[in-house]
Amino acid sequence: MQRETLEVDILIVGGGPAGLSAALRLAQLQKQKGGEPLSIAVIEKAREAGAHQLSGALLDPSTLRELMPDFEAKGAPLACEVQQDNIYYLTPKSKLRLPITPPPFQNHGNYIISLNQFAKWLAAQVEAEGVDLFWGFAGQSVLFDGHRVTGVRTGDRGVGRDGQPRGMFEPGADIQAKVTIFADGVRGHLTKELMRTLQLGEYSQPAQFGIGVKELWEIPKDRLAPGTVIHTLGYPLRQEEFGGSWLYAMPDGQVSIGFVVGLDYKDPLLDPYSAFQRFKMHPFIAGILEGGQVMKYGAKALPEGGWNTQPRLFMDGGLIVGDAANFVNSMRLKGIHLAMRSGMLAAEAAFDAVRADDTSSARLQRYKTLVDESAIRTELYPVRNVHQAFSGGLYAGGMFAGLAMLTNGRLTGDLEGHAGHTRMKTLDHYYGMAKRDIISGSNAVTPDRKITFDKLTSVHYSGTHHEEDQPVHLLVHTDVCHTVCGDEYGHPCVRFCPANVYEMVDNGQGGRKLQINASNCVHCKTCDIMDPYGVITWVAPEGGEGPQYDGM
Amino acid sequence: MILVIAEQKDGKLNRASWEAVAAAQQLAAGSMPVKLAVFGQSLSGVAGELAAAAVAEVMTVEHDALALYTPDAFVHVAAALIAQQSPQFVMLAHTYQTRDFAPTLAARLDRALVTDVVALRQFNGQPAFARPMFQGKLVADVVLDGPAPHLVSVQIGAFRADAVQKGSSAAPVTSAAIGIAAGVVRQTAEAPFQEAKQAVDLSQAERIVAVGRGIKSQENIAVAEQLAQAFGAELAASRPICDNGWLPMERQIGSSGQTVAPKLYVAVGISGAIQHLVGMKGSRTIVAINKDAEAPIFEIADYGITADLFEVAPALIAELKK
Repeated sequence: MQRETLEVDILIVGGGPAGLSAALRLAQLQKQKGGEPLSIAVIEKAREAGAHQLSGALLDPSTLRELMPDFEAKGAPLACEVQQDNIYYLTPKSKLRLPITPPPFQNHGNYIISLNQFAKWLAAQVEAEGVDLFWGFAGQSVLFDGHRVTGVRTGDRGVGRDGQPRGMFEPGADIQAKVTIFADGVRGHLTKELMRTLQLGEYSQPAQFGIGVKELWEIPKDRLAPGTVIHTLGYPLRQEEFGGSWLYAMPDGQVSIGFVVGLDYKDPLLDPYSAFQRFKMHPFIAGILEGGQVMKYGAKALPEGGWNTQPRLFMDGGLIVGDAANFVNSMRLKGIHLAMRSGMLAAEAAFDAVRADDTSSARLQRYKTLVDESAIRTELYPVRNVHQAFSGGLYAGGMFAGLAMLTNGRLTGDLEGHAGHTRMKTLDHYYGMAKRDIISGSNAVTPDRKITFDKLTSVHYSGTHHEEDQPVHLLVHTDVCHTVCGDEYGHPCVRFCPANVYEMVDNGQGGRKLQINASNCVHCKTCDIMDPYGVITWVAPEGGEGPQYDGM
Repeated sequence: MILVIAEQKDGKLNRASWEAVAAAQQLAAGSMPVKLAVFGQSLSGVAGELAAAAVAEVMTVEHDALALYTPDAFVHVAAALIAQQSPQFVMLAHTYQTRDFAPTLAARLDRALVTDVVALRQFNGQPAFARPMFQGKLVADVVLDGPAPHLVSVQIGAFRADAVQKGSSAAPVTSAAIGIAAGVVRQTAEAPFQEAKQAVDLSQAERIVAVGRGIKSQENIAVAEQLAQAFGAELAASRPICDNGWLPMERQIGSSGQTVAPKLYVAVGISGAIQHLVGMKGSRTIVAINKDAEAPIFEIADYGITADLFEVAPALIAELKK
């Protein structure tokens, strides 16, 4: 089979804030330093800029200010500045306002943004600098020459469900690069391949994640002042579960509302989507949403493990940036500015390495040095243990977080972290044998179709779309689904997937079988993370497919 | 003047083109002439069919290079015809072919394009084009800016083909002379083929019987088949049926299948998930048969039967056979 090849100096995989910041910084360096221009390409699986970008989002503008001091004049889409911070502890029927807003939740000077619009704008700035952005091209696999990363192969198009080429088959292209910057996002499937092949996680703690489920609402305009920020802890989660909500009010009655659940919960019957529905039914929240309507839905995993979970960031011919490297401050619920900064620093290291014609691991290690000297470390190192401490529950974690703030992280040595999926308990362990009958039902919420919705309806509002006639892009490597999983965990994939991808259906012989509705997938990566057996692998479907997160 | 670009294949007019003509007549409201254009080879039959509408003229552009569709040839010919005719609006049905070439045409002309229009409205005395946003959650009224012509594609099923006003006599058919220089067409089209044998085009069906999860097993598909036969309808399905392989994927209706707008849509054992509704809500008359009275399908059905489909279907078949 003949594959097209494309050779560039620097390839950036992923068109989110990290990848686009890297591209923009490279273009700036080119201008500053002159000389033979480097060829730069960005590939992104979404059909258009920002389509797969989902976040709350509050933007700490510190990195943006450095990357582009005139961002306001250039029309950066910052919906509004944060005016008022509120943090509540919810009980099932009531709310307690925290008397002071803890420093990590203070958002004075930050902006409420739509990450979708922000990425669109950033992409336009990058394109204006003459960088080639290839939308709709998913990286399928990493190209290696021994231990050296030499680029990325993009996905084939027009392969049928049976794996055979269809009429419009088009093989993927090999993009060869001197340096490849992996900005493939949270639990990036290429970064995962790198970690496995090159053992990049050898000296790191296991990564930890959460899942964020989000909706965009339009509510009566006078209900919340634009710039109002609300965070909640507590209900419907229990003390043993990590997570909470956000609610950000933007102009024109637009509200970003969402719920994060740590993907290290113990209860195999927990359903993050249902938790979000229950949260919306709380009188406090229902009162805000009533009479409004939901415009958009989406979900995405987010890294929560912090500094000690970053993989080795450099290798021969490759660098890892942004969410793929777990650069998120889970205490402040912020990572966009860290993603952007890591992209900028990777760009600097890559630029010098290509110019010096030495893109070895030793040379690219400079990126790690730059990260260690940067505001990324200043921000993440002191809180490196906080998420790990929450594994002891909300109160222990909260207390630890307070102490970490007071002592600037000097409290203890490194706390050990565990991969979240290993903490899930079996039904027997969690509920005990006696309760088997009680738990056989579903814990889903009956939707009222005004404030709460069933998953399938929500999936529609994610705008996700996939060609049906293509190989299923969620690989389940063993047959545990039909043997032990039902007894042990009660098929948790059906619940942790926020998009109704996994379904246990009647197999026609009195039993049940797993049906994977791959075309519902919103690319959140939760199944790849949280499956207790670790047997699900998310791979990229055909390029250009997936959710359409306008305004998210 | 409003120019409608109709679509044909092998001398057979695409039914959706009539919907574009209806939309154009509605927009013109008698105060502007409507002209139709069709591109291809051996178009006399199609042109004659189109001439029945109350329009000023039917123009054909015939050329060897138009025998098989290519975006380059169609954009070239459409741009040339628009330059000759200077219409205020160019209207098209939002078919796959339109999706393929209309954006290029708009870019070539540097004119505004609004796609997937579902209704015509007025805004401050100007025509406004309603189009769905956010997966149909909102409808935006779009007023087009900039110089004419404005390009408009209309959603299939949004306008009624049978609302086309017919002329008292056939409209004149003329042949527009537009050359296609060598080098204009960069694509080489191969003869079209159907991926599957016996493929159906549900979007052209006038009656559809669609079956969903309520049918329970593959053996029972026969019941739906008989019902479809009795109605003289095409058989279609919601997603779970095609997922199970009980019917081929090409018969799937909904957001990941086909969008249809037949005159009669009989939904059998379909609960009406929104993914299914978006694919069929434009149907003229919707009949729903479902055991669950709370099923969302009843919210859009014109006739609803809350009952076991295995009781209703045989009764309907017997009645239809009389």
